[in-house]
Order: sequence, then structure tokens, then C-alpha cells
Amino acid sequence: MLKWFDERVYLKRFYNKFLRKAFPVHHSFFLGEITLFSFVTLVLTGIFLSINFEPSIRMITEGGQKLPAAYASVRFIDSLPFGMVIRSIHHWAANVMIAAAFLHMIRILITGAYKKPREINWILGICLLGFSIFAAFTGYSLPFDAFSATATKIGYGIASSLPIVGRWFAGVFFGGQFPTEHSIPRLNAIHILWLPLILGVFIVGHVLIMYLQKHTQPRYAEKVAPGKILGVPFFPQQALIMAILFSFFVGVVAILAAVFIANPIQVFGPPGPTTPEVKPEWYFLWIYGFLQMIPASWKFSVIGIEFGPEFLGLVVPILVVILGFIFPFLDVSRRKFRYLELPSRFPWRTGAAMGVIGFFAASTLIAYRHDLGISMALSWVIVIGTPLLFTAITAGIIRLAYGPKERRLPVPPAAVQVQRGG
Amino acid sequence: MIDDDIKTGGAGTAAAAISRGEAPETEGEELIRRRRFLQAGIGVGIALTVGGISILSVTSSLRPAPTVTPETEPPAPGDKLVFAEDQSHVVVPDDLQLAAAPKTVYAMDPASKVVKSGTDNNLALVSRFDPSSLSADTKPHAAAGVVAYSAICTHLCCMVSLWDAQHQWLHCPCHHAEYDPRNGAKVMAGPAPRALPVLPLKIADGQLTVAAGFLTLVGCNS
Repeated sequence: MLKWFDERVYLKRFYNKFLRKAFPVHHSFFLGEITLFSFVTLVLTGIFLSINFEPSIRMITEGGQKLPAAYASVRFIDSLPFGMVIRSIHHWAANVMIAAAFLHMIRILITGAYKKPREINWILGICLLGFSIFAAFTGYSLPFDAFSATATKIGYGIASSLPIVGRWFAGVFFGGQFPTEHSIPRLNAIHILWLPLILGVFIVGHVLIMYLQKHTQPRYAEKVAPGKILGVPFFPQQALIMAILFSFFVGVVAILAAVFIANPIQVFGPPGPTTPEVKPEWYFLWIYGFLQMIPASWKFSVIGIEFGPEFLGLVVPILVVILGFIFPFLDVSRRKFRYLELPSRFPWRTGAAMGVIGFFAASTLIAYRHDLGISMALSWVIVIGTPLLFTAITAGIIRLAYGPKERRLPVPPAAVQVQRGG
Repeated sequence: MIDDDIKTGGAGTAAAAISRGEAPETEGEELIRRRRFLQAGIGVGIALTVGGISILSVTSSLRPAPTVTPETEPPAPGDKLVFAEDQSHVVVPDDLQLAAAPKTVYAMDPASKVVKSGTDNNLALVSRFDPSSLSADTKPHAAAGVVAYSAICTHLCCMVSLWDAQHQWLHCPCHHAEYDPRNGAKVMAGPAPRALPVLPLKIADGQLTVAAGFLTLVGCNS
């Protein structure tokens, strides 16, 4: 059987050339794989959901109740065998994907793996995270229950507050002022076709570039086998590890999904004449919190173009993304990066990464400003102070814990490193 | 393969030789060259214009034009008000308790009996207060102490559906904007950029009736 195939599709050559690829082993390298597993799970569960979903807000009568068709079809999905759990898995896998992608990015950041020659993959990675969040947002809108309609309407409001292009852009993306009869079909097409397609292409590119550039080597590899690629072959060893991890991932997500049912739309009900008290998903809370700190009086206009408080609230998130894009180019060393740097060797960079996390945490806390009774002035102190504090504390701890020991270690001369790298 | 290479190589060298020959161009040849250039220019110009107009017309249709149906028309003078939750009930001032949480209403065309509930932008909040407690610029738009405002928050288009009983303010649940209904729904707290649009009321046949459409533009970012 194998021989039959080998004579036709050159299995052995393929195996020797591609499937023997060495995969370095370190537990932090699994974060990217978990992101990939989430994507696969999302596509598989998404197939089931998409063939049962009706993307329309046409009013239909069901059991004497007038309901939007999209809402009714999600109720139908919930009534199918395992339907509710599959919908719930879809929801949780999306959350895990965004969380894992973010942690993956932090791992890259604190180990210096964004440096030359991996700048392209760093940028592709940020795009992937952005598109994932975009996909999560469009997916959230589809059931068209009271919560999702409100959240999407706020999204429309924020998108249309962008100066000049905002209203046109929001009109195209949401099919007019949300909700119109065009909105759900359009968001559905973006969610189930275009974004998965874009994500798929970007993921292939991301993995292919990693494959061509070879994965960064963990620190211990330099001591064990300097100058050589250390790792387990993709097939069968690494593939087995991945299969086990994937099964474990599906198990955990299924338990999460069964215990915490996602968006119980039966409880929320279809959109009505009142707005429920809605908070965005956790990955939007930092933007939500930041928007709450901008007073309504902050607006100005330049040559007739209005810049309102919502736009000003978006400036900082946009700056964070731009900084992310240019970050790898701030490193000017010409040497090709091969071995991961220890976070403890770079107290300020690690500190800055913790500062970024601190910024997200503080802005998320401010999202609960109203419930916690935090004043506007205190909010600003928290949002500016926490990142600085996180950075200083992290750098301080690293200096205290590792400083003297690191200094005792002789730093190998650069020439030797280049030789090994070559 | 090899044969092909030789052929193309041969053709290439032949062409190069001709161009290198640089025989002085006759006037006729130069005219033909100019004509060719002009023709190409006109062709590219037409293609760009047709293509550009096509692309523009497609992109402009990407943003759907708003459609107006009897249900989505804005409230007009003479319309009655009905409760959003019970659309067969025409509102009279006595339906509303003094200084209580507001009720949500839609306008209804009295002739066709069409309830204008086709868009959220037509949703209004009505509350009743002691007429003497209303501000001077609110009074002209109130009827029997009842004031009506758009229910759509001017911040990000949520529905202003909560009641801050302590201050007696309208409260938006999304980002906690607050409006004072006794004072023209002016912004008292939170991120809203402007007051809620006023829906002027009058009393006709003992029922609450729309005196004029919303005084300012309904919705957010407008």
C-alpha cells in the first residue's frame, strides 16, 4: 500500500524532506499551536453552525411570537442534538484563540524572537490577532439577541466616529445604520467567508515563514549542541505531541462549553425597546474602559472635520497597534537572531512587556469605573501609573534576583556567536 | 528546451540589430509613430474613464441607501403616541405617574393607524412632571407636564432605558450618560456629546399628540 503510493507520489522523498523537520521543544512554544487548534476547532464547529443559521432579521412568527429569523434560527441550532454545546464550543474556542494569540505574542516579545529575520512574521502575527478580534466581533453580532444587537450597535457608533471615512466605512461594513435588513447578511458573509479565508491565508504564510526561517532555538540548545538545530522530528514525534495537545485542548474547551453555556439567547430575548446593561467581551474591555475616561467636552475640528471624543478614545488603541507594527524595526542589531534571549537578561524589555500587560489590565479595570465608583481623575492616575509601576517592579525584581549572578557569567565574545550562528 | 532558447536568442539578436541599425526615420514613419502614441493614449484614457466610473458606481452602492416605509417615517405633527410594549394603547397623560421612570412610546399615524416602530430612531421616552418644575425652555414643548425625548443616546446610539431615581435623570446603561428630562434632556454626566432630541407635544382630544417632529437630529455622531 505505502509502496504503491510511494511509486506515484514520492512519499519517501516528501517524508525525508519535509516531515523530518526538527521541532525544538519548550512548553512556551505550544501557545502558537493552541491558537492554531482553536482556529481548526472554530472552522469545524462553524461548518455546523453556518448550515443551520439564517442570516436575516426578517420577522417570522414562531409559536405565536414574532422573532427575527436569525434569532429564531439560533434557537433552532440550540434545539438540535449537541447544538447548544457546539455553539458554546465555538464561542469558547474563539476566546481561547484570542487569549492564546496574545500570550504567544508576549512570549515572542520577552524572548526577543521578533528580531531579524523574523520581522515579517511578527507583523503577520499582529494582523492575525487583529483579524481574529474582528472575526469575534462579527460573530458576536449574528444571533441578533438583545445583547448582541446592542454591542454591535455600539460598534457601529464607534466605527462611524472615525473622521472623514467613518460614516461611509461603517455604512459599508454594517450595511447602513445598524440594524438594517442588510446588516446581518453582510456581517454573516464577512464572518463565515472572508475572515476565515483571510485568516487561513495568513496562517499558512505565518507557518510557512516559520518553516523557512526555522524555529528559534531555546537557550539550552546552545549549550547542548551549539550551532546545530536541536529538536524532535515533525513526524512521528512532534505530530504525536500535537495530537495529544489537540485532544487535550478539545477536552478542556468542551468542558468549559458544557459548564458555561455561551450567550444564552433564550434568556436575553430578541432586541426590544430597551437596552440591557451590556459590557463588551473581555478583549474589548480595555478600549471600553479607555472610552469611559474621555469627557464629552474633548472635541475639536480641523478645517471643518470633526474629531469627537470617541475618536480621541480610539487614538491610544490605534497608537498601540502602530507601535506594535514598528516594534521589530527599533532593534538595530544586524546579526541574525537564532537563540532565544532569556527574559531575565533584559530587565527593561521584560519590564516594558509587563507594562503593556499593566496598561491592558488597568484600562480593563476602568471599564468597571462606574460600578466601583472610581473618579475620572483617579482613572487617569491608574491607567498611566500602573504600566510604569509594572515596568519598574519587574525590572527591579529581575535586577535583584538575577543581576549579580548574570554579571559573574562571562559574556561570550560576539565573534564566537557569529561563528556558531553560521 | 535548448531549441527554444536558441530560437528566442536568435530573434532577440535580430531585433537588436535592427534597432541598432538606426536608419534615419523618414517623415512618414515618424507620423505613424505619433499616430500610434496618440491612439494608445486615447485608448488608455477611455479604459480608465469607463473602469473608474464602473468602480465608483459599485463602491457607492456598497453603502445601501436608507429606505423609508410608513413604519420608518419619523413622527409627524398630529401623530398619537402608543406604548412600545402595548401598541394598541394610545397614551393619555393620566397613564403616566408623576416623576416616575419614563415609558417608551412610538408615534402612530391617526389616519392609517400605522405604528412607526420600524426603526429604533422613532423610539421616544415620555415622563410626566409637575409643570412648575420644568425649565423655561422645556415648558413650551411639554403638554400637561409630559415631556418627550428621543430614546437614542447621542453618545453611541444605545437606548436610554434606565432611570436614575436619586437625581431623577435619564440614564444610559451602555456608558452611563445622564440627561435631565426637566431641563431639555441636557447632558448632566457621562460621555454624551449633546442633549437628547426633543419631541414637542400637545394635547388633542385628551390624548398626547405630536406637535412637531424631533427638533434635532436623532442618533449618534450626527
